[in-house]
Amino acid sequence: MRTISYVEAMNEALREEMRRDPSVYVLGFGLHLPSKGPGLVSGLLEEFGEQRVRSTPLSEPAVAGSCVGAALAGMRPVASFGLPDFVFCALDEILCKAGKWRYTHGAEGGMSVPLVFLQNMGGYVRAGSEHSQSPLALYAHAPGLKIAAPTTPYDAKGLLKTAIRDDNPVVFFQHKLLGGSKGPVPEEEYCVPFGRAKTVREGSDVTVVATSYMVQLAKKAASDLEERGVDVEVIDPLTIEPLDTERILESVRKTGRLVVVDEDTERCGLGAEIAMQVVEGAFSSLLSAPERVGNPNLPVPYSPVLETAVLPSKERIEEAILRTLAS
Amino acid sequence: MEHSEQQLLDIYRNMVRSRAFEELVIEVMPQWKIPASWMSGVGQEGIVGALSTLAERDYVTYTHRGAYYFITRGSDPGKLLAELYGKRTGYCGGKGGRHIADTAHNLFGKSGTIGGHAPLAVGMATAVQIRKEDAVVMSFFGDGTSNRGTTHESMNLSSVWKLPVVWVCENNGWAGTTPVSISTAVDDIARLAGSYSIPGRSVDGNDVLAVYETTHEAVARARAGDGPSLIELKTYRIREFAEAGPFPTGYRDPDEIEAWQRRDPIDRFRSELLRRGVLTDERVEEIAREAEAEMRSAERFAEESEFPAAEDAFTDLYA
Repeated sequence: MRTISYVEAMNEALREEMRRDPSVYVLGFGLHLPSKGPGLVSGLLEEFGEQRVRSTPLSEPAVAGSCVGAALAGMRPVASFGLPDFVFCALDEILCKAGKWRYTHGAEGGMSVPLVFLQNMGGYVRAGSEHSQSPLALYAHAPGLKIAAPTTPYDAKGLLKTAIRDDNPVVFFQHKLLGGSKGPVPEEEYCVPFGRAKTVREGSDVTVVATSYMVQLAKKAASDLEERGVDVEVIDPLTIEPLDTERILESVRKTGRLVVVDEDTERCGLGAEIAMQVVEGAFSSLLSAPERVGNPNLPVPYSPVLETAVLPSKERIEEAILRTLAS
Repeated sequence: MEHSEQQLLDIYRNMVRSRAFEELVIEVMPQWKIPASWMSGVGQEGIVGALSTLAERDYVTYTHRGAYYFITRGSDPGKLLAELYGKRTGYCGGKGGRHIADTAHNLFGKSGTIGGHAPLAVGMATAVQIRKEDAVVMSFFGDGTSNRGTTHESMNLSSVWKLPVVWVCENNGWAGTTPVSISTAVDDIARLAGSYSIPGRSVDGNDVLAVYETTHEAVARARAGDGPSLIELKTYRIREFAEAGPFPTGYRDPDEIEAWQRRDPIDRFRSELLRRGVLTDERVEEIAREAEAEMRSAERFAEESEFPAAEDAFTDLYA
């Protein structure tokens, strides 16, 4: 199978869906320039023109809200916002308009809000506190949204195609460190379904649920620990809403131990949520208290030394795994 | 501007029906049949003039105040009232309340945040532009909303993309307890248009035909592909911010309210139509009776409708 990058895979998804459905269009800051080299929107302006590839001003609320309005009027907008930190400017539009509009106004009128909000999350690039956030849990907390956070090029393409075809608003998280990563992607068309977690690595001792780039760290931790005789199962949920709770419970029933790794601030985060769902659904299988690895509720600092101290690392994941085995 | 007799009567009838609907709501509010408050647009029915310039295929985004949007577009008063009652038969099955949508009439719902609908109008107009449809979006907002960033971002974006939007500011003088004089840097909100290189006009919002004429021009411009306009309707909020709730009263000069009551848009239009011979006293009575009967029938429908089942709360989140 051919190998392409994560961002090339997303570009293919956009092109295929724009060819397939004239109601799909993309918008974002700086999309007016012809493409140079591979990128998220490479070749789209040339192929589809400026009506369907729209360069926006720096107006996140207007851009996000316009996607809701266009979706209500029958379109399928895909907005690329750059960093999730910027998207906070448009939270009313995303949480209260995109997320709640159908439920509040319109099941009777057959209303739906099909749109995709792309954002490139994550730290580890010395970008400082307002360019490094990973707010998956924020969106998971809000009713009415779907949330995808693929790790591999294969999943990035397949999930983006599913997101565009979905009749609901989807918040779609790329990761800064994954954009250039390469992986096998078939030439043939495919979609990756929402709500079906992927078992990245099978193991019998501890279940590690990791999101986005954390999956790569968790895999490295699992390989290291294998040499020490610990057999780690790594699960990538792919989508946070819908969340494949069944797959996680099934794994914990087998291993009896759980570690959740999420790059976001830990408090009220995915670690808390997933651990609680496991407590509710597989309490009697638990052999030790669930552990979580995340950002200890700090702004992501700039200096490499400080950033490394705050963001999850392979070492912290290993320590957490070993703690679940110690008790 | 020439209007057919039928057109004039339709405008008048919709103003009267809108007022009758609101009077019914205000009548039942103290009985708490409507569990949330109502923001009355009584005295602002000149807005019917703007709405009357639209075709069925056009889109409207609307504010929290008044019933004229729905009434003029052709919504069913029974289903509107049932929604306010929280009944299953309401436009949103009781989930919306004042956040009513009537998709059949291109009324797609109300934002809970002031100014939240402006970006939605941009999106609807973007859809129209991409599909090369012959439709316009009329987006209403108040003087308070003229200070939201979303309003400014949206007007700018609509101009940059040359979208078919008609921005209509209902300047009723008061945002909650805050007068325009201490909240808004410009005297005429229409002047904001200059910042976005679009035409801007202020008009007497209680002169329904002047409203029609000015808006009609902006709609024609949008329909021709020449981009957005901003129209400011200078009007007045006769009633309090809301019909119930923890809102202060007594902060306005009663003379100010009385002066505007003397400029009531329905009274003025009725006099004009009587003068023109389009209306007679008998016809005035008849239209009033019909509106009253229509609203009583809406009330019966709302009263007799059932509440949704509790389990309905758990449906419809996702499509």
